[in-house]
Amino acid sequence: MFACLYVPDFSVQAVVRLEPPSTQGPLRRSPVAVLDGPANLPKVIALNDPARKLAIEVGMTKLQVETCGGVTLRKRSLDGEDAAQTGLVECANSFSPRVESTCTGTVILDLSGTEKLFGSSENIAHKISASATDQGFDLRVAVAANPDTAMYAARGFAGITVIPIHHEAERLASLRVGLLPITPEMIEILDGWGIQTFKALAALPETPLTARLGQAGLYLQKLVQGRIKRTLIPVETASTFVESYEFDDPVELLESLAFLLHRLIQQITERLMSHSLATNELRLTLDLGVAQLRDGSTGEQYKREWKLPLPTQDKNMLFAVVRLDLEHSTFAAPVKKITIEAVPIKPRHVQGDLFAPPSPEAEKLEITLARIRGVVGSTDDNGISCVGSPRIVDSHKPDAFIVQPFSSVAEALEKRTLRAVLALRMFRPAVETSVELNGEKPHFIRLWNTHRRVLAAFGPWCSSGNWWNSAAAWVHEEWDVVVKTLGVGYYRIYRDQIKGGWFIGAAFD
Amino acid sequence: MRANLSLRAEIEARFPEACRPYQQRRYDTISTGITEVDLATGGIPVSTLSEICGSGKTSVLTSLLANASHEHYCALVDAKDSFDPSSADTAGANLSRLLWVRCGKSKQKLPPLEQAFTTADILLNSGGFGVVAVDLSDFSERLINKIPLATWFRFARVVEKDRTALVFIEKQQHARSCAGLVINLKTSPSLLSGTLFKQLQLEVELIRTAEKKLPSSVRPTFAMNTQWA
Repeated sequence: MFACLYVPDFSVQAVVRLEPPSTQGPLRRSPVAVLDGPANLPKVIALNDPARKLAIEVGMTKLQVETCGGVTLRKRSLDGEDAAQTGLVECANSFSPRVESTCTGTVILDLSGTEKLFGSSENIAHKISASATDQGFDLRVAVAANPDTAMYAARGFAGITVIPIHHEAERLASLRVGLLPITPEMIEILDGWGIQTFKALAALPETPLTARLGQAGLYLQKLVQGRIKRTLIPVETASTFVESYEFDDPVELLESLAFLLHRLIQQITERLMSHSLATNELRLTLDLGVAQLRDGSTGEQYKREWKLPLPTQDKNMLFAVVRLDLEHSTFAAPVKKITIEAVPIKPRHVQGDLFAPPSPEAEKLEITLARIRGVVGSTDDNGISCVGSPRIVDSHKPDAFIVQPFSSVAEALEKRTLRAVLALRMFRPAVETSVELNGEKPHFIRLWNTHRRVLAAFGPWCSSGNWWNSAAAWVHEEWDVVVKTLGVGYYRIYRDQIKGGWFIGAAFD
Repeated sequence: MRANLSLRAEIEARFPEACRPYQQRRYDTISTGITEVDLATGGIPVSTLSEICGSGKTSVLTSLLANASHEHYCALVDAKDSFDPSSADTAGANLSRLLWVRCGKSKQKLPPLEQAFTTADILLNSGGFGVVAVDLSDFSERLINKIPLATWFRFARVVEKDRTALVFIEKQQHARSCAGLVINLKTSPSLLSGTLFKQLQLEVELIRTAEKKLPSSVRPTFAMNTQWA
């Protein structure tokens, strides 16, 4: 058996599906028309049933539609249609591995062998319909013994249709021949013969029909009789999880953006879950509404990437991470289009360890870190992260470190020997100072505008490196000095041989 | 009189905490890894606000983080970005278990001191960290004295419900009665001869503790070696 999923008024549903959940329901019941074409003369390319009742037709101009009143107008979203088609295929994929994306808004799946999992054909059809409704589709489902019969039944009959084997011609009889893939000339000929329905075409004698319309005529007759057997062309499973939305008018406020972001992230996580996958990397691209240049090139893009320490399917956590980051970002222009991509990865299945130390909850930690980044910032002027775990860089350069993402995921720790040492407090950047020398040793030093006597000086310790890169090269002559302050201070100072000055690098504390 | 008693009984039944004298709960301690400090203080108490002040505070903090990072996840809110990862690494810290928050390094609206307090608040509310240390050493006393006592009190009450040791590193003590433990460190005159700076003598003065306080004349001293000694 084969099932066909058909989404009527696909362009309209693809646009409505991108609306916030609270407005989707009312929009489905109210007249909606989708416009496309040149910016100065957009025309209706799709509309729903309530709009048809207002005598609106495909091809009407925006001005004509607006005179009817009460119609919601939306711009066509090709990205939205792609995402909707992918969503439809994935919905079918959750019931059968053999799915054909027949055309826009139509998907056929092979149900053979799924009866034991999902029950009778009628049960499967109901389950498919419920699953598609969850994904924001209002669709028709038909089940039949061959793919084409299922497809024409879905296109011709509303709701759920199940056609028993050997009853195909009987059930399709009332459909109009206009549904068939037929040329205008052939429609004219059939009209001339008075053939309007599938039943009338099926009843014609084969030989005279072939003599007049050729093999195409015979093929059409077999279609309406439900006798065409063909194999499905299964689609390959998508490896990318991308959702996008283009605004009619560029938006400036985060609240408006957040509505859409939440919806897109929800759709992505639902798709990931339907594939039993999770994500640990999220990429956001915001196309900014900058005026078009003469050469046709437009706009800047704002790109952001979040790497999570562990895979997740939690839409609220992902949304919180993105939102908290965007709250502290500023854009040069209003946002025209959002594209969000999730990198798929296998979900994490771990058992709690009784002997592991208490740790911050991994999912909650990401939100905590995002909030802290919002307070202290993401990176410093050198591009080093402001929040994370420090790691020593394998270099002789003083104070060489990087900051890695912090994670509370349990990991094997190497045994370290504990040893209490006199720690340094670093000055970042180093404080410029002046030093008076007695022979080679520092004798007086200027500490925050006060000259202080050096009680003892240990050194010099010379170090240099990165000589092959003039921007990163350093040559230091270091001294550890004991300075008479209100009490006694212990400092590490150095002479920069390249810049030619004295600096206080750190204090012993 | 009877009405008063019945009213009191009803309040006690509905809000038992309201009529009970306040008792600070006693929890475990985390070793600083320095025997003399541990003997004097009994360790850094969890669920308590502690202050480490004076000269040598960074070394005690580094040793505490190194010791605690073997059993707990730790967080360091570095208000002036002065933490030296190399010192912590030499002390034996598991740096992968240390969350380092560097305040004042990015162009943000909040000044670094407010960033540090807000971050500490977020970390304490998030939970799961064994030690949350806030380094305020490099701020002027004038600035820190402006922090209202209510802020310290709020931190002390928040941390009381958690199994976290909240440690402030400052030049002088500021939390007053809100702190469960206050240590003041001083450098003692050391031998300053030779060609290599090898060690510093430190003296521990216990200013406030929940345990029985040592006599003020007893001030344990200990030597801290430099990384290369």
